[in-house]
Amino acid sequence: MCGIAGIMYKNGSGTNPAGRALIDMLDGCQHRGPDSTGFALYGGERSGRLRLRFLVGEGEEADGAIARIQGALAKHGARVVDDERVGSNYRIQVSFDGDIQKLAYDVEHAAKVLSIGSSLEIVKDVGSAHEVDGQYGVGEFHGTHGLGHVRLATESAVKPEAAHPFWATGFADVAIVHNGQITNYWKMRRRLEQRGYEFTTDNDSELIAVYLADKMSQGIALKDALATSIDDLDGTFSFLVSTRDEIGYAKDRLAVKPMIMYETDDLVAVASEEVSLNRLFPGQALNTKEPPPGTYATWSRSI
Amino acid sequence: MVTIDLAATAVREANELIRRHGADGTDVELVNPDARHHLGVGLVHPIDVRIRGSAGYFCAGLTDAARFEVDNNVGWGVGDNMYSGQVVVRGNAGAIPGVAIRGAEIVIHGNMGSRAGQVMKAGTLACAGNANFMAGYMMYGGRIVILGDSGEKVGEDMTGGHIFVGGRVQDLGSDAELVDLDDGDDDDLRAFLDRYELPFKGTFKKIVNAGKKLRYATSERQMRSIPFFTFSQDSEYWNPKIQEDIYIKSQIGRYRIRGYGGARPLPHLADLAFRRDLSHAGRDPDVVAKVALATEIGGLNGANALKLSMPVMIAPMSYGALSASTKRAIGLASTLAGIAENTGEGGMSDAQRGAASQLIFQMLGGRLGWNIHDMNRADGLEIYISQGAKPGLGGQLMAKKVTPELARIRGIPPGIDLRSPSRHPDILGGDDLLIKVEELREATGYRLPVSVKLGAGRVSDDVKIAVKDGFDFIELDGMQGSTGAGSAEVIDYVGVPTLPAIIEAIDALEEIERRQDIEIVLMGGIRDGIDAVKALCLGADAVAFGTSTIIAGGCIACMQCHIGQCVTGIATQDPEHEKRYQAEVESRNIHRFLEGARWQIAALTHALGYSDFRDLGRDDLVALTPEAAEITGLPHEPERRATLPELRVQVG
Repeated sequence: MCGIAGIMYKNGSGTNPAGRALIDMLDGCQHRGPDSTGFALYGGERSGRLRLRFLVGEGEEADGAIARIQGALAKHGARVVDDERVGSNYRIQVSFDGDIQKLAYDVEHAAKVLSIGSSLEIVKDVGSAHEVDGQYGVGEFHGTHGLGHVRLATESAVKPEAAHPFWATGFADVAIVHNGQITNYWKMRRRLEQRGYEFTTDNDSELIAVYLADKMSQGIALKDALATSIDDLDGTFSFLVSTRDEIGYAKDRLAVKPMIMYETDDLVAVASEEVSLNRLFPGQALNTKEPPPGTYATWSRSI
Repeated sequence: MVTIDLAATAVREANELIRRHGADGTDVELVNPDARHHLGVGLVHPIDVRIRGSAGYFCAGLTDAARFEVDNNVGWGVGDNMYSGQVVVRGNAGAIPGVAIRGAEIVIHGNMGSRAGQVMKAGTLACAGNANFMAGYMMYGGRIVILGDSGEKVGEDMTGGHIFVGGRVQDLGSDAELVDLDDGDDDDLRAFLDRYELPFKGTFKKIVNAGKKLRYATSERQMRSIPFFTFSQDSEYWNPKIQEDIYIKSQIGRYRIRGYGGARPLPHLADLAFRRDLSHAGRDPDVVAKVALATEIGGLNGANALKLSMPVMIAPMSYGALSASTKRAIGLASTLAGIAENTGEGGMSDAQRGAASQLIFQMLGGRLGWNIHDMNRADGLEIYISQGAKPGLGGQLMAKKVTPELARIRGIPPGIDLRSPSRHPDILGGDDLLIKVEELREATGYRLPVSVKLGAGRVSDDVKIAVKDGFDFIELDGMQGSTGAGSAEVIDYVGVPTLPAIIEAIDALEEIERRQDIEIVLMGGIRDGIDAVKALCLGADAVAFGTSTIIAGGCIACMQCHIGQCVTGIATQDPEHEKRYQAEVESRNIHRFLEGARWQIAALTHALGYSDFRDLGRDDLVALTPEAAEITGLPHEPERRATLPELRVQVG
């Protein structure tokens, strides 16, 4: 029950207005999901540095969560470079070169993690694209690529942690936005849990993220992981996935959930509806493409 | 020609301008469309509309006679439900182009998305490029022309019509087959292509319905007449009903179909009683004048509300399941009682429209009989998602009832065992549903209330989606609702009873603090004014009577509604049977029943100490059984059984 959007600038530079582009695209399809809005933004990477973003709430609740986070980070030898509180979020940058999955599970037990990565930051909350931008300054974000999502909540409650994008818990820099429903969710989740992975929500989008991240951690290319996802996941879906260097999509064989894309020499943009793509190019007739059912593709930024 | 700049004009305003220019006969050009949804919907005049760029969902939807040209792409559902006219798209089309068209010509120069021409009835959908997955899915008639490749499963579950493919036929759908071209096919196709300047030098392959799934292979022997009271006896094991069931299944090798409602005992409104002593109820001869019963439904978002003289409507029942005379009798009775009638599936006849002063027009997945002209003369529009008697399934109308006249209204071949689609072509989630609701509002200038009919299933999720998608009211239907034809197992064993449905619906809306944003009309086995008062106490804004109005109008509950030979002339399309039905007499009987219900509602409300039915609340009720107490959270007071009021007195 939602709208999705993704953009990648091919020049690989971190100065592209990715935040503003995603706000415009999501505003164009806000009718698909009025409850919450979220962004996965990539940029500002520095070697040996890790960015973490948490949902900590307000006041004393937030103070407690931040103390627990700092304790967990210290335990893993992560040194704080800088930190700030934005809205109900806590952003922190650390220098760290240990096992990210172990660190991630520990901090997850300390507070609600929104994202961990060398360049990824996930910003999501209840409200429209413009409201979330107003609270977190998404429009000022410049970077290489990103994903966005608007949500109409059905099965789970309207709260920030149930909004998309979802981070692949335990895997740095992997995020997903998804429109549809995975019907073999519990079967797939049990398989992944037996392999030691932890899930922090009951949302099927988190499952797709962990599924893909697991494949990539085995050395499988994102493109090949997307190919097997079409066979392994049952249900109706159009989803976008992003990593530090790539974005990709996969679409189920029944073609029930919409998706449309537009590519130029400079960028590729993907969205649920053409109306979002036209927000980037007002007044222009775009030569868009609708991916056929059962297909997938990836794009990389030049490094 | 007039130019409208969509960068400066909202779609709603632009559509009103387009309709106004249509009435004047002025052509329109739309600039800066930027793939906005619903462009030109609801237009019923033969003007040219030129769209300078891409259009979004449902471009030219619900129109008749206009000519559209789109310079670039269109989103989902271009030409949705068009009656006549044309659309030329210079770029690509998204999913379900030409969905449910009744006679237009739609030409796509690029490629087209999945399920092209789904449930189309007539007209031509042509594509110069390739089609995608399941082109011609569930089409009933008309012609699809694909100059490129067919895509997978072309013609899946098509019933009628023709699909011509110029490129590769990748894969045939179930019940579709390749046949040789008829004489004249090729000339007709080339003349069409020449008219739209589409060059094509290849040869065509023709795909039609193979005819293996149009009718059940074996028809069902009519069962011995078991009175309903015997049929619903308590024993579930090896009683005559079970024996008959096994015997018939051994002959036909498939599920059985029957009409009427479920026969299993379920928790219901009868398991509730009133908390106060009501032995004095009904003694005041003038009680109807002393209680405020008039109400409005459907006006929360600015549409013209339905005006009801009491919180009661008629439940949706189709012309098709019921005879024209019966629909007329119900319509007349609804007018006399000052309440609203509902078309159900299958279209609106002039007789129905004439008889009912307020008529809701229902849209189902098959779009049978759905069109802009009847939308414009309706008093409310309703999107059917499912019904309580058979949640998750489409309607069924056996061949005997699919007469040429009925087939014409619905736009389907006569004499098929009609199994209507259980899904809408363009509603696959709450996101799509919202865009569809907007299309209906745009096409009718935001005048009409738009409601959703929900069979109780995942009630909590469904009502939350309904309020978020901006519906004006919900017609919530529990498992005790009846049907003209449904699988016997489904009627008895699938669904959620009416009692938990209303509780779950109200709880869900209160959980998200949106109760005040939508109205609920409860139905599903509501038998009389006493049930109605209990439903209102539980939180419904109004109730709807279906089966009880049919019984008031002469139904003998033989459960053979699906056969089409109803001896009372109610559930039949056979003129020999229908002539027994005296619509004028039965309309007065139905009206008398409705007035009785009005008196019951007034008498109970008054006896509970109120002068307005809106003051009724859950505190006025207790539960008589542990189950009902568990479902409703009401106190369990079985001793109240003795104090049930004798309110079955009818007014003269």
